Amino acid sequence: MTSKGPGLAGIMKYVVFALIIAFVALLMMYVSGSSRPYEKVRQSVENALDKDSLTEQNMAAFKRNFNLNAADYAGVMYYSTGANISAEEVLLIKVKNDRQIQEVTAAVEQRIESRINDFEGYAPDEVRLLEDSRQSVRGNYIFYACSPKADEYMSAFNSSL
Amino acid sequence: MLFSSITFLFMFLPIVLAVYYFVPHKVKNIVLLIASLFFYAWGEPVYVILMILSIAFNYFCGRDIEAHADDPRKAKIAVVTAVAGNLLILGFFKYFGFLMETINAVLPVDIPYRELSLPIGISFYTFQAISYIMDVYWKRAQVQKNILYFALYISMFPQLTAGPIVRYADIEEQLRSRKINAVKLGNGAVLFIIGLAKKVIIANSAGAVFEEISAMPAGNLSILTAWLGVFSYAFQIYFDFSGYSDMALGLGKMFGFELRKNFDYPYISKSVTEFWRRWHISLSTWFREYVYIPMGGNQCSVSRNIFNLMVVWALTGMWHGAAWNFAAWGVYYGVILVMEKYMWGAFVDNLPNPARHIYTGIIVLVGWVFFFSPSLGYAMRYLLAMIGGGAGIADATGAFLLFTHWLLYLLSVIGSSSLGLKLIKAVIRAPKNQYIQLTAAAVIFTGMFLISIAYLVTGTFNPFLYFRF
Repeated sequence: MTSKGPGLAGIMKYVVFALIIAFVALLMMYVSGSSRPYEKVRQSVENALDKDSLTEQNMAAFKRNFNLNAADYAGVMYYSTGANISAEEVLLIKVKNDRQIQEVTAAVEQRIESRINDFEGYAPDEVRLLEDSRQSVRGNYIFYACSPKADEYMSAFNSSL
Repeated sequence: MLFSSITFLFMFLPIVLAVYYFVPHKVKNIVLLIASLFFYAWGEPVYVILMILSIAFNYFCGRDIEAHADDPRKAKIAVVTAVAGNLLILGFFKYFGFLMETINAVLPVDIPYRELSLPIGISFYTFQAISYIMDVYWKRAQVQKNILYFALYISMFPQLTAGPIVRYADIEEQLRSRKINAVKLGNGAVLFIIGLAKKVIIANSAGAVFEEISAMPAGNLSILTAWLGVFSYAFQIYFDFSGYSDMALGLGKMFGFELRKNFDYPYISKSVTEFWRRWHISLSTWFREYVYIPMGGNQCSVSRNIFNLMVVWALTGMWHGAAWNFAAWGVYYGVILVMEKYMWGAFVDNLPNPARHIYTGIIVLVGWVFFFSPSLGYAMRYLLAMIGGGAGIADATGAFLLFTHWLLYLLSVIGSSSLGLKLIKAVIRAPKNQYIQLTAAAVIFTGMFLISIAYLVTGTFNPFLYFRF
């Protein structure tokens, strides 16, 4: 650094710190979780769902499809068409701790992969739905939507927090 | 990315090692830095930006402190700004949610708030950054003018996500030049395999027993089951964390770095003071160097020394997590260590060795109850069950778990003392012929690696316990 260098370092540390604050502000806006209770988030997401095509599934179906136990989590909402020939489904989970986040996201990835394998070759529309499915982790909330209205459901989830 | 994952073991590590050994010496740090950023971004694609910004912030802070080296007042302002900046970032991510939760619980308010997940490794890399800032300020180390070298110090993947916390002064020279050879590569690989086996064979198995016991209501545990639970957790956390540290040290060696050991058989300690000289050594050293000694350490009055110890241990507890049970765990150790220093230390030293082991063991196990409990209430109920306040002396669950896992506990006891390594060395050195010795070593460590892989392939996802800190 030249003789001006040290002065530059003194300025740059504040510039970088300002960037850190701006970055954290962006994170708070777009990826943060929320202290809102599960029931309220669930209700907001549920209200946005198309109930003509989706019906609420019991926790046995959740266990069967995602290989996870609903009792391990703070809250689980699982909707699907209930038909084997459709990939459409919506999942909302509130986890109890950070450790469960990776467990659930891995299970969702596995579910998508296995459904793509199921539909590949005879149901290209369903494969496309799965490839375009939306997932989001916001704090302790994990959301997954595979549907033609996935974007709509996702924005309902984001605004529910 | 986890060290104990197939992706890391069979893709990331071989590729990085091959490129690292192939490129000229001058480029090795750049290769390692790119690999480290990729390693972190694999698991934390968003937070890698935060880490890069933190690197830049601390780099400029270091340069600023150096620029004011001849003006103590300005240098002090620069160092306070740097440390405060680091603590603000760490504090926000780690304690903001806890603070809001506490305010909502204590006051008659319900303030809604947003919370962010904790970036993996932030507690470790922030402490490393503070170590650099303080070492430069105290002139224990030169300021790092090469930002790539500094970035490598903060982000080096072997110790990035769960330590050991490397002090800058310890690694400054190695960042510039270090020996890389086949012997170090081999020794590093052996250390890595030992760490992997500790994690996937012992820690995960002990963790499965603990999960089963901790899922039961504490009030329904018999004395046997409650003690089995706490023993299982003690073995899980030791083999998990020391396994990770062994892997980190082994990887460091493979890339030419010599990192200080983080564990030294803590469960053979004969006092709690000794236990903390052997457990998570890099964290204890960090708090001693950068908090305890600057506060006056023991070069002061007794009351001030007690205050210093209590502050350090409350901070150590809170470093582990934003929850009251961690604070209680820290204060618990603070009180015990003060008592050992000023009240019963001399008495304990004069006890027969078995009694000293039992005394230390009981205190450490009770400490783990505070550590693993989700709340203080649960901790109290669990402790009560350990002394008979649950479901009697023994029950079918406890007997079944003991009968089906006795080999695991035996392996854990052997492995947590120096006996385990001595046994392996004795087997390897039993034949007189050097080639047979080498073959025996290859068979043992390859076998250990293959068994670990078998456990990994058939087991479920199991991250390291210390990732959440």
